[in-house]
Amino acid sequence: MTTWDGLVHGLGTALQPSILIYSLFGVFLGTFVGVLPGIGAMAAISLLLPLTYYISAEAALVMLAGVYYGSQYGGSVASILLRLPGTPQSAVTTLDGYPMARQGRAGVALFTAMVSSFSGSILGIGVLVMLAGWLSGLATRFGAAEYTAMMVLGLVAAATVGSERPAKSLAMVVTGLILGTVGTDVTSGAQRFTFGQAELMDGINLVALAMGLFGVAEVIANIRTADTHGRPDRVSLRQMMPRAADLRAMPGPILRGTTLGSFFGALPGTGSTISSFLSYALERRVARRPERFGNGAIQGIAGPESANNAAAITAFVPTLTLGIPGDPIMALMLGALVIHGIQPGPMMLEARPEMFWGLVVSFGIGNLFLLILNLPLIGIWVSMLRIPFRWLYPAIIVFVCLGVYSVRGSSFDLIAVAVIGGLGYLLALAAFSPALLLLGFVLGPLIETNLRRAMLISRGDPMVFLERPIAAGFVLATAALIALSVIGAVRRRAARAGQTPAPPGDGAD
Amino acid sequence: MTPMFNRRSLLATAAASVMTLSAGAAAAQEWPTAPVHIVVGFPAGSSPDTIARLVAEPLSQRLGQPVVVENKPGAGGVIGVQQMLAATDGHTFGATINGPLTTSPRLVKDISYDVARDIAPVALVATSPLVLAVSAEAEASDLAGFVEQARANPGDLAYGSVGQGSGAHLTAELFAVAAGVEMLHVPFQSYAEVTTSIMGREIDAGFMAPSAAMPHVQAGKMKMLGITSTAPFAQVPDVPVIAGQAGLPADFRAELWNAFIAPAGTDPAVIARLNTEIGAILQDGAVQEKLLAMGWQAAPGSAEDLAARIAGDTAVWGAVIDRIESRN
Repeated sequence: MTTWDGLVHGLGTALQPSILIYSLFGVFLGTFVGVLPGIGAMAAISLLLPLTYYISAEAALVMLAGVYYGSQYGGSVASILLRLPGTPQSAVTTLDGYPMARQGRAGVALFTAMVSSFSGSILGIGVLVMLAGWLSGLATRFGAAEYTAMMVLGLVAAATVGSERPAKSLAMVVTGLILGTVGTDVTSGAQRFTFGQAELMDGINLVALAMGLFGVAEVIANIRTADTHGRPDRVSLRQMMPRAADLRAMPGPILRGTTLGSFFGALPGTGSTISSFLSYALERRVARRPERFGNGAIQGIAGPESANNAAAITAFVPTLTLGIPGDPIMALMLGALVIHGIQPGPMMLEARPEMFWGLVVSFGIGNLFLLILNLPLIGIWVSMLRIPFRWLYPAIIVFVCLGVYSVRGSSFDLIAVAVIGGLGYLLALAAFSPALLLLGFVLGPLIETNLRRAMLISRGDPMVFLERPIAAGFVLATAALIALSVIGAVRRRAARAGQTPAPPGDGAD
Repeated sequence: MTPMFNRRSLLATAAASVMTLSAGAAAAQEWPTAPVHIVVGFPAGSSPDTIARLVAEPLSQRLGQPVVVENKPGAGGVIGVQQMLAATDGHTFGATINGPLTTSPRLVKDISYDVARDIAPVALVATSPLVLAVSAEAEASDLAGFVEQARANPGDLAYGSVGQGSGAHLTAELFAVAAGVEMLHVPFQSYAEVTTSIMGREIDAGFMAPSAAMPHVQAGKMKMLGITSTAPFAQVPDVPVIAGQAGLPADFRAELWNAFIAPAGTDPAVIARLNTEIGAILQDGAVQEKLLAMGWQAAPGSAEDLAARIAGDTAVWGAVIDRIESRN
């Protein structure tokens, strides 16, 4: 079956009224849980799973997939308006989205996020259709050595995110790496920093960490300022409209973000959180005025939002073509298929073409739904900012607790989110970037287990990182990046030696 | 707290439990008087969860009360068992895989329960063997060839598992000792990672559930050299049993299983009722078929059978863990 036949075939499946309704329901629910801080696609899909016993496999998959990519849209809303990431993937959107909202440009920020999400998804679908075969081969070509080298490159590339002070950035990345070591060590089976708590054996819950650092910490910080903090004015339609300069700034980051996201999405185990961080780092690197990042740079929203949406689409490649789920949510969706007696894997494209292509077409339809659903909602979201803090913040805390509890029904995680929230507030007071801590936390365990696995398989020979061509490429790129940074720093220092030192502070424009 | 007070409260507890016991026979007639909760130590959609839900639905019809499956994932199923033990309402039970009842007490420091003291076996539900899978391009075409290759190059072949102390790891170690070979253990976090690594020729082999290997075998990317049950398994009838082949003992067996458990001290009449109902559910052809599609074979039996299984497996795997620990 050619790609074209497949798409026509898929259109037949995806346009069935019942499938359309499940798709609409899925993306609507996805947007909704994405907006609510802490409650994400994982919780929603777990709750919907028992329901899928009673509907057809196609409808189930289309609906659950809709929740998955729909939540990527919603996640940015609270990030921009309240500096509370709705999902861990959208944490990086707080960095420039929130400053824009403070400048009265919340509408533009939301518009950018929606358009970037839509473009990222649609381009991601294009990549999925054109390159599914090639992308599915990627998973088996990437072994432990390749993952290690690639993650190190990612960590080095992202080390510039967020802060002007390298020492503070480094401190946060390292803290994240250390927190990532909590739990059972995959390689040796040893329990590290679990203090006899079975709840810590699987590590610190990512959702609890993200919601504590961003959500709870932000609420605490606002309690102090809530009385003096003026409510934003009503946003007029004019203010919501992007300026021509805004529109011109978007295509580049969207294309780069989509490329990054499509690549990382197709690799099992990396996924959308990492691709959004790396896209941000990349945009900052290529920007002509990197100092604008953190102060409302539109590129800082467009890149990451397109990246995480593209990743959410291409994440289906290893899941459906190899039966290899890239993240726990994908594993859950595989579970839904297995319930229906369908074994996802290399044979699926042949055995159930209507399912594969139907899903692909439903991605396109679902994303159209999302755009139509979300653009008119921007005004409503912005008016949410006018809700008095005494109502809004208690509600946020309730949702954070619900969301954290829903991940694995653990009251331990509720205590964890409270403690992490307190720490997050202290970090915010001292102007440390929680986004970097989160990045270290996500990348650290991946680097560690893959590094040790690569060394185990090579029987202790470090040359494995240079003998395998893909790994060697990443090592070279990392070395080049470090060299460039050092040269840049030396040049800046030389230039600065001639003039008066730059004023301290973050110089918003 | 004075010793006197202590003794009084003890006496009160004793009196209360005598009353509970005498009321027991009558209570079992009426049980269940409230919705029954089944705590599963794995996330929604995982195979222990799917099996629990498969049994829960007909069980609810038979008991005339809703049967609610609750997921309390974490620590390889240990948290689910702990959560079940924390409930004292007489309507909370657990569905678990073998690990938390057999190997976890050895592998998890500070585990809060003692299987023999705190847990009452209810019924075995299903068992699953593991297959030894290798890449389709691997040299060995059968188990004898694989063992020969491993013997000729001690420590050269690497196998993947889903973690230290996992069923896949311990099975491979049991196999290595029985076959007299030495292989390198590479721990991963999921079967998906293990199969990817085998297909990428990064590692050589792995023991895994037949359903994890099958899609790749059908696609011509992997082959299955043997299975750890004592008889051929209906889901993959062509895969030869390992027992008795390539110099391995005829009683070589390693299986994963799923079972229902209750907190110790549960009314024996309630356990008997649950065991009967679960046994009847497992006789249903439709249920058996669904289990088999997921790679599990229905294994109805008495509560005593399950107790014997727990004791037997604890001894077998305990010996394997001893060997691994003494080597490190």
